[in-house]
Amino acid sequence: MVTRGDDRLGQLEVTISFGEDEVVVGVNGEVDLATAADLGAALTAALERGSPAVVDLTATRFMGVAGLRVLEIGAEQLAARGRRLTIRSPSVLVSRMLDITGLVDILNVEGAGEGPTAASTSAGGLNGHLRKVSAIPADDDVVDGALGLLVALARATVGGADGVSVSMRRRGHLTSVAATDQAILELDALQYANAEGPCVDAAIEGRRFHAEALDHENRWPAFTPQARARGINAILSSPLVAEDRPVGSLNIYSRTASAFTVKDQELASMFVTETSRLLGHAGVGVTDDQLSERLTRALQTRRSIAQAQGVLMERKGIGPDEAYTLLRRFSRETNQPLSERAADIAGSTRRLPSSVVHEQKEGPWLAS
Amino acid sequence: MARQLSDGLDRARRDAGLSHGELWMRYFELGGMSTALQLEAFLYGALRPTANDYDVVAHALNERFVELGGNHPVAYSEDEIDALEEEATP
Repeated sequence: MVTRGDDRLGQLEVTISFGEDEVVVGVNGEVDLATAADLGAALTAALERGSPAVVDLTATRFMGVAGLRVLEIGAEQLAARGRRLTIRSPSVLVSRMLDITGLVDILNVEGAGEGPTAASTSAGGLNGHLRKVSAIPADDDVVDGALGLLVALARATVGGADGVSVSMRRRGHLTSVAATDQAILELDALQYANAEGPCVDAAIEGRRFHAEALDHENRWPAFTPQARARGINAILSSPLVAEDRPVGSLNIYSRTASAFTVKDQELASMFVTETSRLLGHAGVGVTDDQLSERLTRALQTRRSIAQAQGVLMERKGIGPDEAYTLLRRFSRETNQPLSERAADIAGSTRRLPSSVVHEQKEGPWLAS
Repeated sequence: MARQLSDGLDRARRDAGLSHGELWMRYFELGGMSTALQLEAFLYGALRPTANDYDVVAHALNERFVELGGNHPVAYSEDEIDALEEEATP
């Protein structure tokens, strides 16, 4: 018999139970970028029903930013109908993330975990969870949304951080793919325009640039006075690396000189690791536009398969593995590609989930 | 046991004219959850995939063979279980 590998991350089992007065989506395992689509499919199926929807996180071991993004999309869909999504029994860490990201404002939270929330945001506590996230590079809504949540988390947890952005090289030029607010986008843009600044140097040279106090800074004569004029006094830019090549930078800005302590710098490194994993995975670079398009298409297909699984799970009362096997056997018997069959099934529901995702492009943390 | 299951997978990949990276992309597209490195380890028999994971790899290869005019030459886990149990018996 084939046995189950035990060293893999990202195992997730999603259940849907239709009660008389609510639909409960049970999330058992780890929600990261690889598995977030499964949760999204189940949530889409649950919301179809029109009953009050509950996402039960009692058995959730890990919720990454991609999972939060899925919850956000679901909550916004419901909000459009004047209702709220209920999150049941989130862990202390998830509660804290909902809080930091502002998602708590659009959700009902029931039975949040007990315990000292301050401890959950220490470098060690977050790192233990965040380092599990691994993901796929792509110009994809889930990735963009995840990056938006990530910069929000970085701003909230790195001491002294007043704004955070992610710069990436796309088509030979640096561009900001996520930022906590418009002023931060402008600071990035000034550096691109001047072709100098810590964010540019970190992205090109592939090492960290820490401008501790801008009033003593002489490395970037054009950019430094512009940053100071905008009230910025310290900047920490760390390189993002894919396949050993620098591809961008994570930039943390502070109004306070010498704001970033050693501990803050460690915390920043952790977010750099997280961001690099979000952007570059499986040994593929993120600057190759063709590859990026291919991955975007792959992510869309993958999502539509997960949605078809969700539809089959609901229609037939089966689990995700059985639903996948049905799709696969159909494809085998008819020689129709599995993805086409999945698109037919996913498209047979009233609301096409891909349109749902596109509607949400402008999330509150995406200042682009 | 895992070696027998995975045996031939990498040969099938070569027959299908897919690089490791292309196969991983197809596998990922079909919902596969392992990294490219783990997939290579499956192909070489160094890591044992779950039955579900194995079937996604097999299906990614088979869809490629269908494109080339073939008809699902790579066996799925349900086809292999009997053979494997026979081989596992000393």
